[in-house]
Amino acid sequence: MKWITARRRHPLAGYVVVILALALFGVGYASLAPTADQASAQTLSAEAPSPEDVDTAAGKAIFDQTCASCHGLDGSGSALNGPDLREVGSAAIDFQVSTGRMPSMDPDSQMPRKPMVMSEEDLANLIAYYDESIRTDGSGADVPYDVPGTPPKADDFEDQAAYEAAIEDYEAEYDSYIEGADDVDMGMKLYLTNCAHCHSWSGGGGALTDGRWAPEIHDSTPRQIYEAMVSGPGAMPMFSDGVIAPDEKQELISYVKTLQAEPNAGGIFDLERVGQVAEGFIGWTVGLTLIIACAIWITAKQRAHD
Amino acid sequence: MTENNNNDNNEAGADERVVGTPKDTTDVVTETSSHAEREHNGPYLASETHHHPEEQQRRGEKLASAWFIIAFLAGIGFLVSYFLFPPNAAGEPAIADPQIGQYSNLLLGGTLAIAMFGIGAGMTVWARNVMPHYEVASPYDELPSSEEEKSSFSEFFMKSADESGFTKRPLMRRTLIAAMLPLGLAPVVLLRDTGPVPGDLMKKTRWTDGMRMYAEGTHRHLRAEDLENDPYGMISALPALDDEGYPHGMSLTDQAKSVILLIKMPEEDWKPGMDQPVRKGSDETHMNWTHQGIVAYSKICTHVGCPAALYERTTHRILCPCHQSTFDASDAAKVIFGPAHRPLPQLPIGVDDEGYLVARGDFNEPTGPTFWEYAKD
Amino acid sequence: MSKTTQAPKALRGVGNFIDDRFHLAKTGEKNLRKVFPNHWSFMLGEIALYSFIILLLSGVFLTLWFKPSMTEIIYDGSYERLQGVPMSEAFASTLYIDFDVRGGFLMRQIHHWAALIFVASLVVHMLRVFFTGAFRKPREINWLIGIAIFGLAMVEGLFGYSLPDDLPSGMGVRILQGVMLALPLVGSYISMFLFGGEFPGEDIITRLYMLHVLLIPAILLALIVAHFMILWHQKHTQYPGTGRTDKTVVGTPMFPGFAVKAGGFFFFTFAVIAGLSALVQINPIHLFGPFTPTSITSGLQPDWYMGFMEGSLRIFPNWLDFTIPIGAGYPIMTAVLVPGLVIPGLIFGGLAMWPFIEQWITGDKSAHNVADRPRNAPVRTGLGVAGIVFYGVLWLAGSNDILSETFSIDLYVTTYIFRTLAILGPIIGFIVAKRICLGLQRRDREILEHGYESGTIQQLPSGEFIEVHKESSAETTHVLESKPVITSDALTEGTTDEKGVENPEARKGMGKLRRSLAHWYTKDNISFEGVEPHSGHHLHHGSDKDH
Repeated sequence: MKWITARRRHPLAGYVVVILALALFGVGYASLAPTADQASAQTLSAEAPSPEDVDTAAGKAIFDQTCASCHGLDGSGSALNGPDLREVGSAAIDFQVSTGRMPSMDPDSQMPRKPMVMSEEDLANLIAYYDESIRTDGSGADVPYDVPGTPPKADDFEDQAAYEAAIEDYEAEYDSYIEGADDVDMGMKLYLTNCAHCHSWSGGGGALTDGRWAPEIHDSTPRQIYEAMVSGPGAMPMFSDGVIAPDEKQELISYVKTLQAEPNAGGIFDLERVGQVAEGFIGWTVGLTLIIACAIWITAKQRAHD
Repeated sequence: MTENNNNDNNEAGADERVVGTPKDTTDVVTETSSHAEREHNGPYLASETHHHPEEQQRRGEKLASAWFIIAFLAGIGFLVSYFLFPPNAAGEPAIADPQIGQYSNLLLGGTLAIAMFGIGAGMTVWARNVMPHYEVASPYDELPSSEEEKSSFSEFFMKSADESGFTKRPLMRRTLIAAMLPLGLAPVVLLRDTGPVPGDLMKKTRWTDGMRMYAEGTHRHLRAEDLENDPYGMISALPALDDEGYPHGMSLTDQAKSVILLIKMPEEDWKPGMDQPVRKGSDETHMNWTHQGIVAYSKICTHVGCPAALYERTTHRILCPCHQSTFDASDAAKVIFGPAHRPLPQLPIGVDDEGYLVARGDFNEPTGPTFWEYAKD
Repeated sequence: MSKTTQAPKALRGVGNFIDDRFHLAKTGEKNLRKVFPNHWSFMLGEIALYSFIILLLSGVFLTLWFKPSMTEIIYDGSYERLQGVPMSEAFASTLYIDFDVRGGFLMRQIHHWAALIFVASLVVHMLRVFFTGAFRKPREINWLIGIAIFGLAMVEGLFGYSLPDDLPSGMGVRILQGVMLALPLVGSYISMFLFGGEFPGEDIITRLYMLHVLLIPAILLALIVAHFMILWHQKHTQYPGTGRTDKTVVGTPMFPGFAVKAGGFFFFTFAVIAGLSALVQINPIHLFGPFTPTSITSGLQPDWYMGFMEGSLRIFPNWLDFTIPIGAGYPIMTAVLVPGLVIPGLIFGGLAMWPFIEQWITGDKSAHNVADRPRNAPVRTGLGVAGIVFYGVLWLAGSNDILSETFSIDLYVTTYIFRTLAILGPIIGFIVAKRICLGLQRRDREILEHGYESGTIQQLPSGEFIEVHKESSAETTHVLESKPVITSDALTEGTTDEKGVENPEARKGMGKLRRSLAHWYTKDNISFEGVEPHSGHHLHHGSDKDH
């Protein structure tokens, strides 16, 4: 199924399809055009970085410069709204940094997802330093290195060939993770009973109290979803591996990612999958308005003598 | 289609129109006007039926035909589109793939829309550019009948009614009415078997003392220690039943009543409401019904029954996404905002010998939307 | 070509065959000559009629495959993503329509879009009738039939929405059942009888299906036919204009002009609905997944026409709930009962009663065939706008979570905003609309008296600058002059009769109420009395007056 791998859809893909479809219809039509494969680059090593590859001294420098002002030099938190980091686990660190939420300039308000500020290497060093010097007795959850994580950027590679190889590796890893899940019922049940009430059936997010919101999870990598579950960022409750086992989490993540990647069988405009509110809005503003425009054409006055 | 709509721009005096008032109408012909001259052979007695000049009619004809040809082609396109997506060799229709389904839908719907629009546009051009245009006056009917007609009817009706003896023979009239009454009740009685009487049905769930639980979607019994790594955990759970008659081990009806939300929070977060008795006169407190910081509330909102599952671990609010009733999980699920009438019912939990989480009885109150006799024993 | 007066032989044959049996020549001609006034706003009801026809056609198509059964099966159909998932046969058969029947997906979307547009066109049609006073005698009964159609259409839509047994549709049924349960004394019985036991049971879809495809459409069809026959018999109202009076209707005759226009309009309506269905995905049940009573999604909403009910359920607080202290106590849940029963009762009851209330206030018993311009009935227009605002606020409140998320407003704050707006909004709406009406009336009088402002500035020999006013067209003058005088006989008949005896009717409470309502209904009005068209002193005829 091609559409499962088409994880990223270009905003213009819809228009391309219309034009394609109309063009094809016009010439009498021979075969269906394949969807433009917009899958973007993603890779990362599947294993935890080995101790030789990381530099805890560099990690300490990053921590002291970018984290310690709020979280304290020993990670115990501070009055400046920096929570205690000693028991959150490295999964929380990886989640917050890789989704660009940390480091934050404005920790009072809820942070939206942003591009990551530091490089993959810096993050690896930071996590190594955290595990070694700040984390208390390995409490909290570890980074799930066997779950596909953040894609690398082309800048991180010297030559194009290495970059493309990395992408290929990543995609193979991603597909095998997503397709390794085979119990749709379990994934669907877990997602719809534990996640959808905040993040919505489509992963589009939703409103919380006090002006907070549950973010949409279209751009989240499987690893980030996994980490969010085990670490409970913001107001989100935690779902440790005891409550939802790793293979069950794989079903859940596979369910929502497959759902998000699926093309909309009902039409090229999916109204952001918001549902009935958007449908009603379109029904009134487009549907009824166009019909009334036709009525105006039909009944428009005509000159008596022409 | 501008040529149909530009007709008031060059009309003398058209710019005089006051917004909100109708434009100058076309000439009105009165069907009843006696001096109407039949200068033409139009169907309506009108002296001023305005035929479009032949040239314009011919243009209109061409335009309308163009629309009809577009509609014809689109109609063919619709039929072609239908056959473009046949079942494949495995017997599966091509449209089972959502992407191909989207193409199929686009082509079928697009051609249908164009065909329909073409016919509509062609007919409009026909009516506006080919047909002569004029307005006809015709009288509104005088609605009330004349006095003579009314009194004649009334006299006739009363005479006939008298003749029938319906008013004069009360015994017959009353027995007829009496004869209708039981039959009138019959439809109501016949509906009795549409369902059982409520009785205690809605007050009991499948939870019993010692029953283990599944995280919904899995078939793995939950243990208390499964939550040890979640200082702020939450999970939706069902009683561990495995009735073979149902894909999920229990009917949807039973799921709807017995689903719970397991919530774990640190001890210091509990509020004083937890020390209240679980129901009036009970020795048990809400706190007694928790286990190691884990509390089990019914997941079904007491307002109108949506699953109230939106739990914020920082505020301990349980919010129902339908109508935003908010319950405080740290305070015996008290209603703190929104339209719900009563707290979420609580399920007593504990662990069995093997460390598995179990219920220690049924909920303290009926689950689901609040109903009239919910508090009655 | 158009000079043919002799019908072709074949046509004559058919005509004679029918006439021999029904004696239709005279009636037929009379009906083909029926006159319909031209205005786009007179075609709004036709949108409803045509979308109803589209609903019937597409609905019949869907029934060919839909199985209204709640038996749980494991899906093994062609739609790959949901293979192995337990679901009801209703949901599985809907997937079959979507992914196995060619054109099935399109038909389902046409059915759904047509439903949204059907109810939307009912609303705009009803508003047109209300604001132009077209509900007045002799059309009150048709107004009532229209209200019944509107109410039934909502219920019909809700039941249809529930049939596929997908996640949001099941929640709609759940909320319906929750509201039922809140009914004092009988709630649990009604719910048990409707669902054949507890929620969701195994009968509800079968029962809703019968109601959705048989009972309600049959009643709707009967009501629509009655609505149309009454319209046909009484003839359509018209806007004021030269030659248009309460006794004479002016417009396009049925045959040939109107028939072709109305026919074309059917195709336009179908085209827009088909176009939407081709391009815009609606109610993607295959993405939602099957209903389970334990799952829920954020941003859950009903179709738009149930939005005001959803909104009132969201914003009505539980502060007024109380318990009858007998035995264990019996709850009266105003937070469910008021939004579920009282508010729709107010809206529908108010709409149904209005023609009679207005007639009672004004004492106007005459028949009206010329529609009011909304500005000429300022109180009615104000009330209509107040109603729209009230409905609109509730409707918006039904999507408060989406608004909260989209505009980053605190969820609870949106609730408070909507609570306030639901009370203040209609009042402000009434006042503003009425003021605008009166302003427009004043301007009408101005135009009537002085002509319209031509935009040409002239300097008089004295040095004074003036704007040249030109005479309005005869048509405009006629329309302006035709402004009806709003009055009530409750005000003209004194409290005493000519012999000085007090009128007993006027002294009773109802009489007093009627008089104060009549005062309120008529007091603000710009009188056109004594205004001579184009008599104003600064009516300067421009030198360019060449037409």
